Amino acid sequence: MSAITVDLRRNRLLLSYLIVAVLLVLLAVAGGLLSDRFLTWRNIGNLFQQLIVLGMVSLGQTFVVLMGGIDLAIGSLVGAITVFLANFLEWRPDLVWLALPLALLAATAVGALNGLLTVVLRVHPLIVTLGMSSIIFGATLMYRKEPGGSVPRAFADIAYAKVGGIPLSAIVLVVIFALAGLWLQRTRTGRSIYFVGGDREAARLNGLPVDRIVVLAYALSGLCAGIAAIFLTARTGVGDPRIGAALTLQSVMPVVVGGTILAGGRGGVLGTFLGVLLVTMLNSLLNFVNVSSYYQWVIQGLIIIIAVGIHTTRRRY
Amino acid sequence: MSIKSILDHKISRKSFIRGMPAVAAAMAAAPAIQLAQTSAAVASEPETRPGYYGAPRTWMWNPNANTMVDTSKWKKAGPYTIGFSNASISNAWRVAFQHGVLWSAGQHRDEIAHLLVTDANDDPSKQIADIQDLISQGVDILLIAASTEDALDSVVGRATEQGIPVVMVDRKVKTPANYITYVTASDWALGRLEAQWLCETLGGKGNIVMLPGIAGSSVAEIRIKANEEVFSKFPDIKVLEKQYCDWNPATGKSVMAALIQKHGKAIDGVLADSALQGYGAIEAFLDAGYKDGEFPPMTGGDVARMYQLANQHNIKMVGIDYPTSMGITGIETALDVLKGISVPDKVEVSFQVVTSPGADTISVKGDRHLLDHVSMSDPGDLSPSNGLPAGYNPSTFNPDYPK
Repeated sequence: MSAITVDLRRNRLLLSYLIVAVLLVLLAVAGGLLSDRFLTWRNIGNLFQQLIVLGMVSLGQTFVVLMGGIDLAIGSLVGAITVFLANFLEWRPDLVWLALPLALLAATAVGALNGLLTVVLRVHPLIVTLGMSSIIFGATLMYRKEPGGSVPRAFADIAYAKVGGIPLSAIVLVVIFALAGLWLQRTRTGRSIYFVGGDREAARLNGLPVDRIVVLAYALSGLCAGIAAIFLTARTGVGDPRIGAALTLQSVMPVVVGGTILAGGRGGVLGTFLGVLLVTMLNSLLNFVNVSSYYQWVIQGLIIIIAVGIHTTRRRY
Repeated sequence: MSIKSILDHKISRKSFIRGMPAVAAAMAAAPAIQLAQTSAAVASEPETRPGYYGAPRTWMWNPNANTMVDTSKWKKAGPYTIGFSNASISNAWRVAFQHGVLWSAGQHRDEIAHLLVTDANDDPSKQIADIQDLISQGVDILLIAASTEDALDSVVGRATEQGIPVVMVDRKVKTPANYITYVTASDWALGRLEAQWLCETLGGKGNIVMLPGIAGSSVAEIRIKANEEVFSKFPDIKVLEKQYCDWNPATGKSVMAALIQKHGKAIDGVLADSALQGYGAIEAFLDAGYKDGEFPPMTGGDVARMYQLANQHNIKMVGIDYPTSMGITGIETALDVLKGISVPDKVEVSFQVVTSPGADTISVKGDRHLLDHVSMSDPGDLSPSNGLPAGYNPSTFNPDYPK
């Protein structure tokens, strides 16, 4: 019985992936028909270069959503880390080797704190992370209201660098996603994230360290936000407290489009990766066909609602 | 920008020649900025064709030397594909500005094959992707209004390195070497004139609040510095508060409402760098029960509603529009670059000083009076200095341009 359930679940997920993959192909074909420059190597390279920031924050969001939570502090955290990095590197451009681990550490700590607060206070994560987002944003603004700081050219190059014609950032992204996927599927801790998301009480009764797993998921989300911030700082060359503002909601979109259920316990990083590709390609295509970004908002909203609609309808069988 | 385009679009030949004594006077009086009133007659000249008329406060008016940029290395044969990366169309100013760009491209169909437009929703991260998309589409030149001066610096520099000429318009990036020229109006002059007018109107003594635009955008930050240059000459002028209002009427209104709560009648003057937050501020005073004649003197510009409210409630104001017509000049400048015609490293678009009745001060005199500049029946979101054909209405205007 349980074997059948697992199988069905896997099929559902495969179906989600298939839908997103078909959408991707349709989009690529449409792009190729609408503009003869859309499917050039140059633009595909360009598309992959744009993936990393949205990709990383969405991966972080995937961990948290799978575990049954939500992280609305991502955007503020990314902004805060860009401010930290750009100011640190302006002060000591030679200490990149120190600045990057510090940034990742700080981001992970803030994530862990989010998790800790939801566990200790037993407040809904929506409220905890929203409050944390406000605190981080305010604190960052106290320190720096305007974009500023600077980064050494060599650091800026990591956002634009290519290895064998492929953007370095895209390689990093694919490797991290692959590792995350393996970790979730193949390790005890990884699988327990699904378990906690599926039924927290059952997980507790089975002796899983639920609280620790919750904190871990939020910490991973923080770490991902830190990596996104590193690439964002390299791309823009400055720290900007507001730069992550749109990222919080954007990070949810690829997750749900990729078939991960908001209630937790079901989904995976492959779907999120396809979702990130879909959203990035869609925005780029709309630029190519010269469509106002207001339509981009409308279409993104429609895709979210339709995607979630499809996933939940299928669940009713 | 060529002399021809100045004569064709910015000012009529007649008013240009008529304005020349003022130019000569301003240059002779350098470095002090002197505003002659000679152009008052010009204001009444009927506006029968696109472009607006008045004192030529363009790069011709620069009291210092201009640096002309040789663009011959960018010269190529047309027709061209121009990529326009706009920071956003999130307020009335930006909408009229974009209308200028589109309309102007439509006027140059013989030279422009495609105008590709992107809109970054004020998000620098999206704008970087937009610019990369435009480059992928093989544009011949980029016309960019940067959402912030720092965050776009790197990507603009990389576009130039890849051999794509960049013309900045409205908002620039940090490093001048990253672009060819910057189409703007003098934010320095605008900031000084508004601050000088406010200080003189208050008799050199009083409490003021500053309502600047978007934190970190070059336009807002330059104006603040220019305001502060003037304030430093008036030791009895006290700045109570400085609060960014994002060039947004709703924000302007809520910020001003809070400031009225906090300081009440202690506020003697309001320095808003644009009417976008300026008319929001007037509405806050109205809500707080201020009667006609009780309003502190205010500065503004850019949209009709502030001028209309000032007229209706008898508010002393000076308005200097940051002309949305710089969108038109932006396209013309981009074409000049592609044709190998030299451009100044900063293309100043002419602006006019507008004052309410009786609001002229010793050093700041209106080029035109309030009701010569807007009419009470204009749509509230109309940008008066738009340079577009007569009868322009931002809500219904739908310019045809080469897509």
